[in-house]
Amino acid sequence: MASDLGYGLGLRPDHYDAILSDRPSVDFFEALTENYLVPGGKPLNYLDRIRAHYPVVLHGVSLSIGSSAPLDTDYLAALSALVRRVEPAWVSDHLCWTGVAGVNLHDLMPMPYTESALAHLVPRIREVQDRLGTRILLENVSSYVAYRSSELTEWEFLARLADAADCLLLLDVNNIYVNSVNHRFDPDEFVRGIPAARVAQIHLAGHEHQGSFIIDTHDAPVADPVWALYRRTRERLGPVATMIERDANIPPLGELLDELDLARQLDPAEAAA
Amino acid sequence: MRLDDLQNAFQGRVLAGSPGIEAELVDSDADDFAARLGAYTQGYRSRLVEALGVSYPALKALLGDEEFDAAMRRYIDTVPSRHYSVRYYGATVAEYVGIDRQQPLAQLVADLATWEWLLAEVFDGPDDNPVDAAALAAVPPQAWATVSFRFRGTVRRTVTHSNAVQWWRSLQDECETPESFESAPAVQWLVWRQELKTLFRSMDADEAGALDAAVAGASFGALCERIAVSVGAADAPLRAASLLRSWFSEGLVAEVCSDRPVD
Repeated sequence: MASDLGYGLGLRPDHYDAILSDRPSVDFFEALTENYLVPGGKPLNYLDRIRAHYPVVLHGVSLSIGSSAPLDTDYLAALSALVRRVEPAWVSDHLCWTGVAGVNLHDLMPMPYTESALAHLVPRIREVQDRLGTRILLENVSSYVAYRSSELTEWEFLARLADAADCLLLLDVNNIYVNSVNHRFDPDEFVRGIPAARVAQIHLAGHEHQGSFIIDTHDAPVADPVWALYRRTRERLGPVATMIERDANIPPLGELLDELDLARQLDPAEAAA
Repeated sequence: MRLDDLQNAFQGRVLAGSPGIEAELVDSDADDFAARLGAYTQGYRSRLVEALGVSYPALKALLGDEEFDAAMRRYIDTVPSRHYSVRYYGATVAEYVGIDRQQPLAQLVADLATWEWLLAEVFDGPDDNPVDAAALAAVPPQAWATVSFRFRGTVRRTVTHSNAVQWWRSLQDECETPESFESAPAVQWLVWRQELKTLFRSMDADEAGALDAAVAGASFGALCERIAVSVGAADAPLRAASLLRSWFSEGLVAEVCSDRPVD
């Protein structure tokens, strides 16, 4: 089980200088892996300097663990090198596919929840974990369509996968809420179906209503129903590292620190202190 | 449907609007189905347009949001991303973006795109260290003819045929942009990085040719022969030494490579 790192924020270039000058009270930063898969220059320079003061976790978008295409060995080699440099507390990516036939759609495409998809994923996750020498965290993604072929619920699929591949889970509470609206299920049933011992990190983020469905946009504060679901999730899971993602309409760092305090206030241990 | 067929069908829908995936998705007859699928098909284009706007801010400023958006969507529909990082999407924009325009705007647009991509390469290029001219002192006289130089990974060259760099600079400085899209005689440019700072300067054609040859691995002797064509054999070694001094002082050189043992 990964250790509980506390309360973190996504590391964004807009905040680099404020982080280094103000040293805000953030327990860890989550760096987007692909932003640092470059030879050198400012991105890695800032990451190294921030890493000197804070724990960092790496969060990728291009592992494409669910793709029917072979694993991208160039990507895995670059990721391994970054892991050696950063020494992150852990490495995460998404339970999705991002492309086939050499193309990257740069999107988190949903998986069908089938027995054959499970059989496809398990050895791939094990191979990645063997290459990196550590268990990885896989995150549940938001989706806007669902496959007719799915045989399992999303939470059954995640639970079965984590057990069979011996990987950890990054539970995105916003994505659970988004999918509960988009695919009409009870988000608490999802949370109850996830094995607590496998969850090493929680994501919170904002979303946008598009009439009858919701899009996971990361461009707004965390919505009230997501906070409520987060509170219930924490009650079930206990202490789990939690962070807030913001990828567009990025506000000054202080606003995100205030929002992170809202998560802290829902922590039973912090509330008792 | 097998996983690979399913994913190929979905990707085909996103990239080219190919039919086939709808039959594999639930509620495909629902009123909001097109909008839900659009989260993937339109989202793909929006995301890449946004990424290209980050790589090409001056090009976007030159064309305006609407025209940039349209030009990039044409590019996206022609060239899919094949790299795991969206940072590296758009390397060939310069080859596409000017082709449907009248000269001299076409040249300006293509030059500006080339320039901005090159700056991005230098921005996050390798952190190799420069050596200073003292490294030359270790080269024995008999090795000078064959000594060569490895240049740092952020040393880049380009040539413009328009006032693109003037445009780029005016946008950087937030001052008035040039009034015209001018064709211009070829200008040779050197771009490189010192620590985290990107630097650039123009250079004359002789120096550009010598630098290109040196970067490609030409020996000092070969550089002298090349330079002799324009300045004469007698002055060539002095001119070559002068160029070398400036390249060293600007921090362009990573290593002095000598075949012969250095005492």
